[in-house]
Amino acid sequence: MQYLVQLLISGLAIGAMYGLIAMGFAVIYKSTGLVNFAQGEMTMITAYVAWTISTTVSGNVFVVAIGAILAAVVLGLVIERLVMRPMLGEPVFATVMVTIGLAVILRSAINFIWDAYPHGLDIGMGRGIVHLGGIGVRTGQLAVIATLLLLLAAIWAFFRYSKVGVAMRAVAADDRTALLMGISATKVHALAWAASSVIAGIGGVFFALSYDLSPAMFQLGLKAFPATILGGLDAVLGSGLGGLLIGITENLAGGYLGSGMKEVAGFAMIIVVLMVRPFGIFGERDIERV
Amino acid sequence: MIKHLAAASLLLTTACLVAGPARAADPGITDSEILIGDVEPLTGPPALLGVAASIGHKIAIAEANAAGGINGRKIKYVLEDDGYVTARTIQGVKKVIDVDKVFAMIGISGSGQSIAVMPVLEKSGIPTVIDVAPVKHLWEPPRKNVFVVGQSYEEGIIHLVNFLADRNPGKKWGLITQDDDYGITVRDGFDSVVKAKKLNVVYSGNYKKGQQDFSSDMLQLKESGAEVFLAGGIIAENIAMMKELEKLSIKPVTGIFWPGRIEPVLKLMGPAGDGIYAVDYVEPFAGPAGKAFLEKAKPLVSEAEFKGINRYTMTGYAAAKVLIAAIERCGKQPTWACTIAELEKTKNVETGVMAPISFGPGVRFSNQKLQIMQADAKTLSFKPVD
Repeated sequence: MQYLVQLLISGLAIGAMYGLIAMGFAVIYKSTGLVNFAQGEMTMITAYVAWTISTTVSGNVFVVAIGAILAAVVLGLVIERLVMRPMLGEPVFATVMVTIGLAVILRSAINFIWDAYPHGLDIGMGRGIVHLGGIGVRTGQLAVIATLLLLLAAIWAFFRYSKVGVAMRAVAADDRTALLMGISATKVHALAWAASSVIAGIGGVFFALSYDLSPAMFQLGLKAFPATILGGLDAVLGSGLGGLLIGITENLAGGYLGSGMKEVAGFAMIIVVLMVRPFGIFGERDIERV
Repeated sequence: MIKHLAAASLLLTTACLVAGPARAADPGITDSEILIGDVEPLTGPPALLGVAASIGHKIAIAEANAAGGINGRKIKYVLEDDGYVTARTIQGVKKVIDVDKVFAMIGISGSGQSIAVMPVLEKSGIPTVIDVAPVKHLWEPPRKNVFVVGQSYEEGIIHLVNFLADRNPGKKWGLITQDDDYGITVRDGFDSVVKAKKLNVVYSGNYKKGQQDFSSDMLQLKESGAEVFLAGGIIAENIAMMKELEKLSIKPVTGIFWPGRIEPVLKLMGPAGDGIYAVDYVEPFAGPAGKAFLEKAKPLVSEAEFKGINRYTMTGYAAAKVLIAAIERCGKQPTWACTIAELEKTKNVETGVMAPISFGPGVRFSNQKLQIMQADAKTLSFKPVD
């Protein structure tokens, strides 16, 4: 039983990290209809900025958190303004190719700005081990699960009750009608990129706390994308939960079926789920009137 | 007149055919310069080895240039980035040979990449010394112009497992490897000792390249009761594994392989990395040879490059020393043929960073002596144990 619980806790922790990044994918898709293939790289850049702040400015957790959030906002806004906005109205394929190009550039930037060595993000917390009923867990792992749950609640409330959240839903539903209602689609897009960068960046920082920073960290995006597909590409909350499901499934498969099955299990689950619900567990079915 | 012209043409053609690849004026040499080319991963995660190896080449070149160059000619280093993508390695090697027209090649990316460029190197006939990723396919069968400095991955693993088996008789073993050619080599080496010494293997895992979370794998290792563990990851993987073991409150006797034996790894592993064993054929930086190398390197490279030094810098340095010495022995007018002949004559060349290097007729692999080291978390260094 302890073996199962240990697998579940570890799965929830890594799944929460996938979930945060998956939410980043979904926020952009929901607002712009675009899949951002540079999501993993943006996550990595934010984590590296957090590490730079911790080693050069201050290792205080609040300084690092505020600095990283600001950096993520700036990163998201700069990418939206300089790279994505000029692509408005262009074919989706071209826009997606731009995000792929952006991913390669951001990936290479790690070596130019930082280096290829792995680094540890030390902010004085998150790396300690606590034992819950004989099960060892890092405090950072507990924190990331709690953060995901808090963010899920906050984002639900944001989309449900705030004017900006409703405006974002309106743009996602029908950007032309939203424009006629006085909502600026470009502002909504900019906000979506900034929010996506911050949410995914939080996941990246937690990953760096629990594991380490390395130029291979962008691969988190590859793990989180299936979580978005599973939860629903247009479902922000569903993507977060999709991350948890993928994390748990991977760990259970790794623990009971063998190491080789770990990476396969999540994708196997996606295939099965998509065969039944092609729009994801929490995604909305597209209805076209003819 | 026509007869004379025809005779002259015939003579010229015959002379060219006889001379073959050992042309009178091989590329890459001017009155003042000799060009040496290299293609390494300078971006992406494998830049950790590519950048470090190129720094080793630069140190040896700077050292030679400071001493007047090769018989009065300064060495110029032409370096290309392949991003660890095989297609780009081939493209890069062709570029430095055909466009930059270098005189010799050195280094050359990872194992898969250097295997892939072998036909290009062989066809061109350019003198080449490979140092980054020694694998058997590079020297078996021996190619006339390609020399390899180092030790095979398989021999390294056999040496490490034999050492751990002798120190831990009757213990239960665990192993995890990557699902690629590197992992297969590690597993093959491990399996050969398992058979010979009849080791009791209770856990055998295989992870997908790029895996970052090892919680379920290490939990399985714990459940298996393994007391000796061969961590077949490279860098980030081994760090993640050791930290998982720390979380699970177990500390098996652990061995790692040289691609991951770099000092920053110990800092990231923290106390979990204390006492792990590693195998390598280059000297540890904590030893007198390592310290002397760092002293030598400091004035020859920039501050940023100095920070990028790791074990691959030593392998790169040693290979460059061997190549430079061979060209030097060819005198004022070095050619490819002479350089290859001199490389073959390399006998017990001291580099200060590994055992003396030798090649021989038909021998294109230096077969370096291996040593076991143990990590000391307090000083963040590896120290020799045998």
